[in-house]
Amino acid sequence: MEATNGNATNGAPETKDWRSYDRMLLPPTQDLHRLEVYTEHDGYDRLRRVLENEGMAPGDVTGEVKASGLTGRGGAGFPTGVKWTFMPDPGEKPRFLGVNADESEPGTYKDRQVMEYNPHLMFEGILLAGYAMHIDTAYVYVRGEYTDWISQMATELQKAYDEGYVGEDILGSDFSMDIVLHKGAGAYICGEETSLIESLEGKRGYPRYKPPFPAQKGIFGCPTTINNVETLAHVPLIVEKGGEEYSSIGAEDMPGPALYGMSGHIKRPGVYEYPTGIPLTDLIYDVCGGMARDEDPKAFVPGGSSTPPIRADNIDGLTMNDESLGEVGSRTGTLCPLVLDAETDMVSFARRVAHFYQDESCGQCTPCREGTGWLENILARIDQGEGRMRDLDLILELCDHMDGGRTICAFADGAVGPVRAIVKRFRDEFEAKCQASVYPVSTEVSAGPNSAVAATE
Amino acid sequence: MSTFGIQQPIVELPDQDPERDFSDEELVWTEEEQEQIEAWEEQYADEQGAIMKVLWLAQEKFGYLPPEVIKLCGETLDMSFSQTYGVATFYHQYFKEEKGSYVLDVCTCFTCQVCGGYDILHYLEEKLDVHAGETTDDGMFTVQEAECLGSCGSAPMMEITNGVYVHQLTPEKIDDLIESLRAGEVPEFTSVTLPQDEDEMDGNRRTDVENTTTYETQPRAEHME
Repeated sequence: MEATNGNATNGAPETKDWRSYDRMLLPPTQDLHRLEVYTEHDGYDRLRRVLENEGMAPGDVTGEVKASGLTGRGGAGFPTGVKWTFMPDPGEKPRFLGVNADESEPGTYKDRQVMEYNPHLMFEGILLAGYAMHIDTAYVYVRGEYTDWISQMATELQKAYDEGYVGEDILGSDFSMDIVLHKGAGAYICGEETSLIESLEGKRGYPRYKPPFPAQKGIFGCPTTINNVETLAHVPLIVEKGGEEYSSIGAEDMPGPALYGMSGHIKRPGVYEYPTGIPLTDLIYDVCGGMARDEDPKAFVPGGSSTPPIRADNIDGLTMNDESLGEVGSRTGTLCPLVLDAETDMVSFARRVAHFYQDESCGQCTPCREGTGWLENILARIDQGEGRMRDLDLILELCDHMDGGRTICAFADGAVGPVRAIVKRFRDEFEAKCQASVYPVSTEVSAGPNSAVAATE
Repeated sequence: MSTFGIQQPIVELPDQDPERDFSDEELVWTEEEQEQIEAWEEQYADEQGAIMKVLWLAQEKFGYLPPEVIKLCGETLDMSFSQTYGVATFYHQYFKEEKGSYVLDVCTCFTCQVCGGYDILHYLEEKLDVHAGETTDDGMFTVQEAECLGSCGSAPMMEITNGVYVHQLTPEKIDDLIESLRAGEVPEFTSVTLPQDEDEMDGNRRTDVENTTTYETQPRAEHME
């Protein structure tokens, strides 16, 4: 991959870095998910060191996380340390940590691997975050579909309670904190932080207006921070290595190791751990063994359904970090890429993406509730060969009426981003399907009421 | 009599006093369940927080959540029926009507779509002679189309009755699965080995799981919808 070597301007590491990387989030240790094994391998030592008399003050932990440059791994990529500083000073009210294990973003399945193979790293991260922010209770909101993983985690959590790692006076210090597992019941929107809060409170998962932000009024109206599972699993590593050293791993704009959940038309799908900023071509051809059936790639969805797909002829020289993907109008999202080969029907793909958003819209705001349905309707019409050329402009116009702060949460933006990108970047495929229509309509006559009548009948 | 004709609602209202599926004698918690619910209430600053757990418990106990069960759950936590009903109807996984003994949630979201999710769904529909969303006549299976279940590396896949995941489906695998489900055998939890573990640790890292599989090259979809 020669194209990637010379491209060091976008904060990407040297190409050799990822090959010599040793895994930290999911290190190769058998049965690490069991408390006995985890503690044998220095588990909870970071927590112990922090809680010792000469340990670290809560502010120091936040300071290290800030220095590490860790960004949220749930999709939005907000700097974690900065988020923590939004919490007000401890007062009368209880304080909560919401752990976002809802992981419903299509294409994303990395948090589940943390919960399956290294749950105690997550618990340790939760406790360190709890110490840094004076948290009383952490709620781990796991999506309802992960039944097996919830019961496995519940067993391990109980062990941690029994051994004094969680609960009252943790490890003999005066720091106490509870961890509660909360099982969702199948709603994508509950991964949105304010919706997650509503759901935890036992209500319909309708997102809330911001402000007030969760740090002021979160779970039960109390100061709350919401972090993703993988994000919290990074915290013990940061405390161990120090923020400074951690920030030297991977890409400059979003440092650290990352879990890449690879799926689609590749030879070896699966979750891989490598530093951020790995070249895309290396990821597809070296890590995942290349394209399945050795076809050419057509499109690349970098991280979940909300991230705009990239044309495969654009991926040379790109790396998996926001700065680099931003150059081609996308972002890393959850860092779980989907690779599509040349035979993929992008119209059908866009239709399925739109269907997902139509199905999952909570229905609170009109632009989103109605817009997602119409997006699906129009895309379905094109997909079925009954589309008209002007439908393409109609889609783009509809997109403009949905995003950009017209709704309470960013769901509509998430729905519009990929659809708009697919229509713009793969327009030829949409046009081909429209032209295959029984009544082809040229772009010239696609204006005015008369043409509309002619086209329908 | 007033000359103002009262307009009938255009949409017929649902039956306001439907026949109940469960009698008052059935609609009680056992002592054990009551204790469990109280423990859950403790976990939340406001007891209403426990409603999702209580609804899950009720679904396990009664199989699905008709209005009278939802009402019971609400009363347990001092919530009004409308509030509780609102919660129960917001989430996909709470069954508001009776389903088959096994609910087969086939993922067709886009990763599964491009890897043959619809092929699997159609095969299953044909095999069981139902459409997605319907239950077989013998009341054994309900086939549903599901949104992303978070197992994209092992697509196409399905989930059985809000529980175990079955990965990397093929028509042959479906045949075996249906046969074993008919015999009352639900597959056990399967751990999918990380590719890096295969290289570095010679296989699965978990010794407490009997069923393991590895990620494989994903199929190409024959049909996309």
